[in-house]
Amino acid sequence: MMITDGFGFLKRLTAVFGRQFCLWLAMSCMVPNAQGAEPRALLVEAMTTNDLSAQIALIQKLTDSPDPLIAQALAAWRQGGVYLYDAGDNLKVPFLLDANADASGKSRGIQIATGESIKDAAGQPLLFLPSDLTAVDTTSKLRKAIKTTLDVLALSSPNSNFRRDAASKLGQAQNAEYLPHFEARLASEKIPDVRKALEEAIAITQLASDKPEVRLAAVKKLGELRSIPALDLIIKLEAAAKADEKAYPSGMAAAAAGARKIIEQHIAFGTFIGTCFRGLSLSAVLLVAAIGLAITFGLMGIINMAHGEMIMIGAYSAYIAQNIFVKWFGEGTSGFNWYFVAALPLSFITAGLVGVLLERGIIRFLYKRPLESLLATWGVSLVLQQAMRAIFGAANVQVYSPSWLSGNITYADVTFAYNRIFVIGFAVAIVVFTWLLLTKTSLGLQVRALMQNRQMAACMGVRTDRVNMATFAFGSGLAGMAGACLSQIGNIGPSLGQSHIVDCFMVVVLGGVGNLFGTVSAALGIGVTDQVLQPHFGAVLGKIIVLSAIILFLQWRPAGLFATRGRGLEG
Amino acid sequence: MKKYLITLAVCATTLAGSLIGRAEDTVKVGILHSLSGTMAISETSLKDVLLFTFDEINAKGGVLGKKIEPVIVDPASNWPLFAEKAEQLLVKDKVAVVFGCWTSVSRKSVLPVFEKYNGMLFYPVQYEGEELSKNIFYTAEAVNQQAIPAVDYMLADGKKKFYLLGSDYVYPRTTNKILKKYLKSKGIPDADIVEIYTPFGHTDYQTIVSEIKKFSAGGSACVISTLNGDTNVPFFKEFANAGLTSENCPVVSFSLSEDEFRSLPTKDLVGHLGCWTYFMSLDTAENKVFVADFKKWLVTAPSGVEKKNRVTCSPMNLSRTGVYLWKQAVEKAGSFDVDKVREALYGQKFKAPEGEVTMQENHHLINPVFIGETQANGQFKIIKSLGPVAGEPFSDKFLGKD
Repeated sequence: MMITDGFGFLKRLTAVFGRQFCLWLAMSCMVPNAQGAEPRALLVEAMTTNDLSAQIALIQKLTDSPDPLIAQALAAWRQGGVYLYDAGDNLKVPFLLDANADASGKSRGIQIATGESIKDAAGQPLLFLPSDLTAVDTTSKLRKAIKTTLDVLALSSPNSNFRRDAASKLGQAQNAEYLPHFEARLASEKIPDVRKALEEAIAITQLASDKPEVRLAAVKKLGELRSIPALDLIIKLEAAAKADEKAYPSGMAAAAAGARKIIEQHIAFGTFIGTCFRGLSLSAVLLVAAIGLAITFGLMGIINMAHGEMIMIGAYSAYIAQNIFVKWFGEGTSGFNWYFVAALPLSFITAGLVGVLLERGIIRFLYKRPLESLLATWGVSLVLQQAMRAIFGAANVQVYSPSWLSGNITYADVTFAYNRIFVIGFAVAIVVFTWLLLTKTSLGLQVRALMQNRQMAACMGVRTDRVNMATFAFGSGLAGMAGACLSQIGNIGPSLGQSHIVDCFMVVVLGGVGNLFGTVSAALGIGVTDQVLQPHFGAVLGKIIVLSAIILFLQWRPAGLFATRGRGLEG
Repeated sequence: MKKYLITLAVCATTLAGSLIGRAEDTVKVGILHSLSGTMAISETSLKDVLLFTFDEINAKGGVLGKKIEPVIVDPASNWPLFAEKAEQLLVKDKVAVVFGCWTSVSRKSVLPVFEKYNGMLFYPVQYEGEELSKNIFYTAEAVNQQAIPAVDYMLADGKKKFYLLGSDYVYPRTTNKILKKYLKSKGIPDADIVEIYTPFGHTDYQTIVSEIKKFSAGGSACVISTLNGDTNVPFFKEFANAGLTSENCPVVSFSLSEDEFRSLPTKDLVGHLGCWTYFMSLDTAENKVFVADFKKWLVTAPSGVEKKNRVTCSPMNLSRTGVYLWKQAVEKAGSFDVDKVREALYGQKFKAPEGEVTMQENHHLINPVFIGETQANGQFKIIKSLGPVAGEPFSDKFLGKD
């Protein structure tokens, strides 16, 4: 039952233990459940005994059981999710509640001894309501013992990330009892990441050894491993060895200093790579948000205050796409994971259509009056915000990232989050696409002609009305896609656009109005500068410095990085 | 323009209200919460729970035989407007008591008004302390009822490094100043305490999260967060994506309660901690009645009250507790006179959903404190009950002088 009902477990475990753990269990559930009767009996005994030391002893025996139900039951017990069923004859049966609760919140009880549901005399499964039940109680000592057993169990988890985390965590405990577990695991481990974590854990544990030569070797090993987690310990050791040289073997202070230097260099290198990546990623966010405005304001010369609301509409489109996919496929399923692929075109179309309405309804009357278009689009932005409040409520809505956008890869101890990498790739893609559209298509040619001289273009037979509409719709659509993309890293709420509009104008104006290349350079400049300054000055002061620098720069070059002659500057 | 219209509308309704409800068997009570602007999202819930509590009391005969007649004003998240509205409530409407304010700056803005006209304000939201006015009763958690117990819990859990992260305004800065001093007194060296602030509406938490990751590499680190509202979403998303979890670096947040969870991606928050004097998941008879009655009230609630997905949370519970303490004090004093009610409030006890609370002479409550772990359904699982803690606004009383 347990194997067939994998997704049922998934849902409940999400509620009870959190996402990571449950992913691991979901994977464990797929491992054939070969043995397990005996550890389960031990666990049941532990749950029904009242003697604390006996309970702890029993739990410690479970550290090498591959049975997923053991881990699940232990975790549930620790969180107060194991209950006792009175089967009569003074027989207490410990059980868990199944994930699939019915409408009234009741669910079946799963016996820990067998993994089967509890049935009444007629053979029908009994249903329980969590609030009617009293959990098998635990004390903090017992919970600690359970935790340790779970950690050791996690060392053999099928998910390499959990093995790695468990190794790092157990290593920090510097408990010599874990050493055999680490070594046993290391012997069979193949994934380099986990191997490193295990070697690190062994060396860190050995730092606390009472044999001087073991400690000396451990210090050297940690240096070789470039172990960041061990840095604090090594610094302390170095100070202690310097202060009292007699208490430590000769060469300890020097070895510690050497290891410290290697690790510090490694951190400096990681910080450099990390700053570059974060700068790039912030630039990508700015660029994605601003590219639509580079079209509507930069090329067409409309001071489009409703640009932020186009981003918001795109973000809400992603939310709608998510909800449709949840309805069709259910949450967390593999089908659900593709909602984001549908969300991108949907947001482009929705925002583009709103753009068409806006252009036809208001903006086309205001091409010759830029200041009035500012006020009109500002009004539109307020209307759109209020409309979203009326439709979706004033509170923020939530979009969950598909699994292929959550998580990260690690290089040189720097994490590169998938969603950040995606945003960078997306930014590159839309810039290339926009550039191709503007330079290689006839629409692009007409847009550029219109930008340089509207009347002349009209005289040459360009249908200015249509080109204007298409360009504005395209700019709005890009803003919409930006919204879908940004929903993966931030908030979705009616005031989402407000938090982006200033940054967008800043990027476009700094880059030089009407120049795509300028927009890209400005986004890169602002993003990287911000990330370089932030660690030194903090987020608040960093932003102030960036803004002041932009003001000074625009004093020097009022037309921005790359000045272009365009309609927006003629007036 | 919008603001004037709202003000006009509110004036008109209060005027109409005062003409109709002039009968002798009512007592006017002010509600001073922002119903528009940035704070509306939090403060509207408090207005709702106050209306619920008034209905609850009126159904049982009111206070001293008089029905409570709420006078609702909207200070629109505008701090100077708070003072104006407070003056209007005290001078024009002559309310017996006011329940209101969320942010510390709004409370500071109305404080001189309450002192000038000798009014009475009940303040229900956790705050930084270092203030005591004879005209304000703070049912809210003081620093030693929230921040200090949370840090104690982390210390007991073996945490040795503390990353204090907050939005840049008075509450996080004052709280973190106190916490730093407290941590030092517990033997945590300066190098192991980091204090960082971000502006309101900050969206880029890459640098901060990568620093936290480095900071927590040796294990035994935790984050004490006083980040406000929206900024929690990008923070927790970045946090989860960097591979940080509640297992390797727990975050305890002081500004996130069940009501805020309604608009947060709770899945990214699972396992992180909260510390309050009340959780909706508390298993007491009083709490079950409170939650059930509030939900029942919502069905027939006046229009304008959001009815779907409602929860209760600590500030809501403390708003309600304030009303009951005031009612009991009025009944003890036999009068609505502010000075007499103030005297009667000292030592007043109330059987609140979280347990018995007592109003002390320092205008703060003795209130049980709990630590809870966030769950995917937006509720807290209570993992530790710390028993009653006497609220103390001044940090040198529980930390000692410099």
